[in-house]
Amino acid sequence: MRNWRFKEIVVMAALSVVFAVVYLAFLPAGKLLVGLFGPIGYDLIFGIWFIVSIIAAYIIRKPGAAFLSETIAAMVEVMIGNATGPMLLIAGMIQGIGAEAAFAATKWKNYATWVLMAAGVGSAITSFTYGYFMSGYAVLSTNYVIAMFITRMVSGALIAGLLGKALSDGLAQTGVLSSFALGKAHQKRNAA
Amino acid sequence: MKAFIQVDQLRLRFDNQFKKDTLSNLSFELNHGESLLLLGPSGCGKSTLTFCLNGLYPRELDGEMDGNILINGKRTTEFLPGELSQQVGVVFQDPETQFCMLTIEDEVAFGLENRCIPQAIMGDKIDYALELVGMLSLKKAAVTSLSGGQKQKLALACILALEPSLLILDEPTANLDPIAAKDLIQTIHQLQEKTNCSLIIIEHQLDGWTALAERCLLLNHDGEIFYDGLMRHAIRDKFSELETQGIWLPKVTQFLLNHVDGTTANIPLTIDEFSKQANLWEGTNWQQNEKQLGTKKEKLFLEATNISWKANKKEIIQNISLKFYEGEFIAIVGANGSGKTSLSRILAGIQKPTAGTIHMKDKPMKTWKESYLRDEIGYVFQNPEHQFVTNTVFDEAAFSLRIKGMDEHDIHKKVASILNTCGLSSSKQQHPYSLSQGQKRRLSVATMIINNQHMLLLDEPTFGQDAHSNVQLMELLQTRFYHGTSIVMVTHDMELVNQYASRVIVINEGKVVSDCSPADLWQVSAEQLTQWQIDLPISIQLEKIYEKEANYVSTPS
Amino acid sequence: MFLHRLNPSIKAITIALIVVLLAFIFDPITPFIFLIGTIAITFIFGNVEWKKYILYFIPFSILSFGMLWTTIAFSTPSNNPNDVITLLGMTFPRASFLTALALSLRILSVAALSLLFIFTTNVVDFILSLIQQLKLPPKIAYGVLAGYRFLPMMKDELVIIHQAHRIRGINTAHTIKDKWHQYKRFAIPLLASAIRKAERTAIAMESKGFTGDKNRTFYRHFSIVKRDWLFPFMMLLLFSLAVLTSLKLGYI
Repeated sequence: MRNWRFKEIVVMAALSVVFAVVYLAFLPAGKLLVGLFGPIGYDLIFGIWFIVSIIAAYIIRKPGAAFLSETIAAMVEVMIGNATGPMLLIAGMIQGIGAEAAFAATKWKNYATWVLMAAGVGSAITSFTYGYFMSGYAVLSTNYVIAMFITRMVSGALIAGLLGKALSDGLAQTGVLSSFALGKAHQKRNAA
Repeated sequence: MKAFIQVDQLRLRFDNQFKKDTLSNLSFELNHGESLLLLGPSGCGKSTLTFCLNGLYPRELDGEMDGNILINGKRTTEFLPGELSQQVGVVFQDPETQFCMLTIEDEVAFGLENRCIPQAIMGDKIDYALELVGMLSLKKAAVTSLSGGQKQKLALACILALEPSLLILDEPTANLDPIAAKDLIQTIHQLQEKTNCSLIIIEHQLDGWTALAERCLLLNHDGEIFYDGLMRHAIRDKFSELETQGIWLPKVTQFLLNHVDGTTANIPLTIDEFSKQANLWEGTNWQQNEKQLGTKKEKLFLEATNISWKANKKEIIQNISLKFYEGEFIAIVGANGSGKTSLSRILAGIQKPTAGTIHMKDKPMKTWKESYLRDEIGYVFQNPEHQFVTNTVFDEAAFSLRIKGMDEHDIHKKVASILNTCGLSSSKQQHPYSLSQGQKRRLSVATMIINNQHMLLLDEPTFGQDAHSNVQLMELLQTRFYHGTSIVMVTHDMELVNQYASRVIVINEGKVVSDCSPADLWQVSAEQLTQWQIDLPISIQLEKIYEKEANYVSTPS
Repeated sequence: MFLHRLNPSIKAITIALIVVLLAFIFDPITPFIFLIGTIAITFIFGNVEWKKYILYFIPFSILSFGMLWTTIAFSTPSNNPNDVITLLGMTFPRASFLTALALSLRILSVAALSLLFIFTTNVVDFILSLIQQLKLPPKIAYGVLAGYRFLPMMKDELVIIHQAHRIRGINTAHTIKDKWHQYKRFAIPLLASAIRKAERTAIAMESKGFTGDKNRTFYRHFSIVKRDWLFPFMMLLLFSLAVLTSLKLGYI
C-alpha cells in the first residue's frame, strides 16, 4: 500500500461505489436470465460483475487495484443492504483474486487488451470454483457445468475485459484521468 | 522578527502543461494575524498556490516546483506529512466533497484523530470548533442533512478544531447562494476577532471580503504577481490591468467606476464606505440601462395552468399559473429550495407536473412529440457536463442536426456559425469536458439554440464563473434574444435581473408571489424582499442611500 | 439491544464463519432449523422492524425458489429412480428433491444471517471496528468511507443526466449497438464526476492531516469485551443443535 497515493484509493473506492450500484442493478437481469435458461443464465452476463477490477487496474496500474476494487464494491453492496451479505464479500474477494492474478503474471507491467481479457477470464475461473462449492454445482450434470464454465469465461473476457477497456478509454478522453496512469499514457500517445 | 510565511521565488510547472509555468517567480510574505485577498482570473494558479502552502505539493505534484516556502522559518518540505495541517488549514470551494464521515461530530473528530489528539480532550475541541461557527446544536446531525452554507461552516469547523495559525479560504462562497455566502462571511468576520489567525482569501466575488482584508495580492494569467498592496491603491494604480485580467471588483466600486467619469482615487469599496461619503456622488445617473427590452405581450407561447408538483410527499410547486409570451426576457428568482429550478424543469417539459396542464402554442404539452418539443424549447442545466454526449465540441453542436438527418455539408455550415457566435470556434476539436467552466456553458447554450428554438431556459447560468465568462454568456443570450428567442433564466444575481430582464417572477415556498418588471419589484417593501431572500441590485441600493444621505445633509444643521 | 451493541468485527467474523460451515451442509433439516433460530435471534436480541425485514427477505425467497426448481430440473439423474416424492401432483426423485431443498434453504439461512448483520450494524461503526480490531489499513478504510458518501449524490446525478440527455433528443435505443452507446453516454459523465469528486475529497482529507498512518487516535473507540463472545457462542450452539437434530432424524 506504500506506493499508493491516497487520491488513487479514494478514486478506486468511488469507482467501486458506482459499480456496486451497477452490480445490484444487474441482479434482476441475472434472475430473469436464470428463469429463462436455468443457472447458466447468470453466466451469460457474469462478466459484468468483474468489470470494476479491470477498470480500476487499467486506470491506476498498481498491484492490488483489481483485488481491492472488487472487494470494496462487494463491501458497498453489503452496506447498501440489498445483497447476500458477508457471503458476497468473500465472493468479491475471490473474483478480485482471479483478475489480480492475471495482472500479477505480467508483473503489473502490461495492460494490453489481451491481458485485460485474461483478467476477466481469471475472475471467471476463481468465481466459478468458488460457486462450484458454495452453490453446490456438484449436483448438476457434468456437461451442464462445463457449459456454464465456458460461458462464464467468455463473458468475463468480453464484458469485463473488452467493455471495461472501452469505458476506461472513453473516460481517459475526457481528461479527468490526467493524474492517473491511464490518463498519462493517453497524453503521451496524443503528444507523440 | 521574521514573517510568519515567506514565499521566495516560487515556480511551479505541471507535467501535462508543456512549456508553461503555472506559477512563476512568486515572492511574498505574510505576518501573524494578517489578512490577504488573493485575486486573479480563472486558471491563474490560485488553488495551486494553496496546495504549495499546505504542503500537498511537491509531495503530490506531477510536475516540478522550485523556490522556497517557509512557515515560521521552516521549509514546508521539512514538515512531516500531515504535520503542516496544524499550521495551515484550507476550506475548499465545493461543500459536497470535503467530508468522509456521516455525522458532524465524527467529521470534526477526523482531523483531530489524524493529529493523534488524545480521545479524552477531543470532545471539548469538537465543541469549541462547532461553537465558533454556531453549529453546536447540530453536533449529532448527519452531514447529508445540511444545506450548502452549513456544509461550508462545517468544513470551517473541521479546520478550526486543529487551531491553525493560517486559514486559507479557497473560493468558499462560489457554490453558495447569496444569503448563505453573506452568512459565511459574517461567521469568518466573527472568527477572526476571536482567534486572530492569519487569513488568505481566494475569491472571485469580492463583496463582503474587502472589509476583512485590506491587502491584496493580484495574479495574472501567467501566474505572476502584478500587484501586492492595498486594494484601494490597486484600483488607483493598476486599474487597466485589473480589467484586462478579468478580476471582479466589489459591486459598489464597479458600479461607480462605470457610471461616474473621473478619478479612481478614494473610491468606496463597500456600501458602508459609500454611505459615509454619499453626498460626494451628486449628479450620478443611477438608472441608466436604457433597456429596449419592451414587453410586447402579443403572441402567447407557453401557458401553465394550475400546475403543482409533489416530490417525496412534499409540495414543491403549488398551484402555479403563468403565461409566457414570445419575445420576453424573464428571470425567475427566489430563495434556495423555493421551487424555482423545479418550476423551470416543468416548464421545459422535462418534469411532468402532478397536477395542472401546460399548453405550448395552444397545444397541450402532453401531445407534443418529444423531438418536436425540443425544437421549440431548449434547457441549459446548472452543470453543463451532464448534457454532453459526444467527444468533440463540433460533434456536440452537430448532434441534434445529425439526429434529424440533415445533410453533412449544411451541418458544417450551421455548426461553424453557431460556434462562432458562442466564441468556441478555436476549440472545435477539443473534448467538451476539457473546456473551461464558461466555455462549457456556452457550448451547452450552442447545442440548445442550434435549431433556432423559440425559448431557452437556463438554470443559474452564471454560477461559479469569472467576470469575463459572465459577460460573454450574457452578451450571447442578449444576441439570441434580439433574434427572437425568449429567454427564461433561474438566477440569484439581481444585477443580471436589473440589467437584462424584462420581467421577473418571484417564487416563494412553491408559489408565485410576484410577477412584474424589475423596476416594479425594487419598489416592494424591504421587509417583504428580505422575506423572499432578495437583495436589491447595487445601483438601487446606492440610489436609496444617496437619496437618504443627501436629504439628510441638505436639511440645515 | 444486544445485537446493536455487539462489536461489529466479532459479528461479521461469526457470520462469515457460519456461512462457510453452512456450505458443507447438504441436508434440508439443518438449514431449516438454523434459519428459524437465526430469525428468532434477530428479533429477540435486536430492534428490527418486521415490515422492513419481510420486504428485504422477499427477493431472497424468490431467488431460493428459483434455485429449488432449477436444481431439480438440471441435476444429475438419480441412482434409484424409484425413490420419489410426490408433491402438488408432481413426482420428483427423492434424492434430488432433498438436495434442492437443502440448497434453497441454505440461501435463506445466509440471507437471514446477512439481514441480521445489516439491520443491527451501523456502517461507520463497522469500518471503524475493522480498523481497530482487524487492523484494516486506515488508508483503505477512510477511502471507502469517502467513496460511500458519494452514493446519494450519484443517484441524484443519474436522474439529472437522464433528463439532460432526453433534452438532447436521445431516443430509446433499440439495437444492441445503440444500447451500448447509450450506456456509455450515461456512464462517462457519471464516472467522470465521481472521479473528480473523489480527487477533491482526497485532497481535502489530506489537507486535514490525513496520511494513512496506522498511528492515530479514535474519537469513537471500539473494543472487544467479554459479552461480545456470547454471540459466536450462541450462533455455534445453534448450528450444532441444528446438525445434531438432523443427525437424530437420520437426514445426514
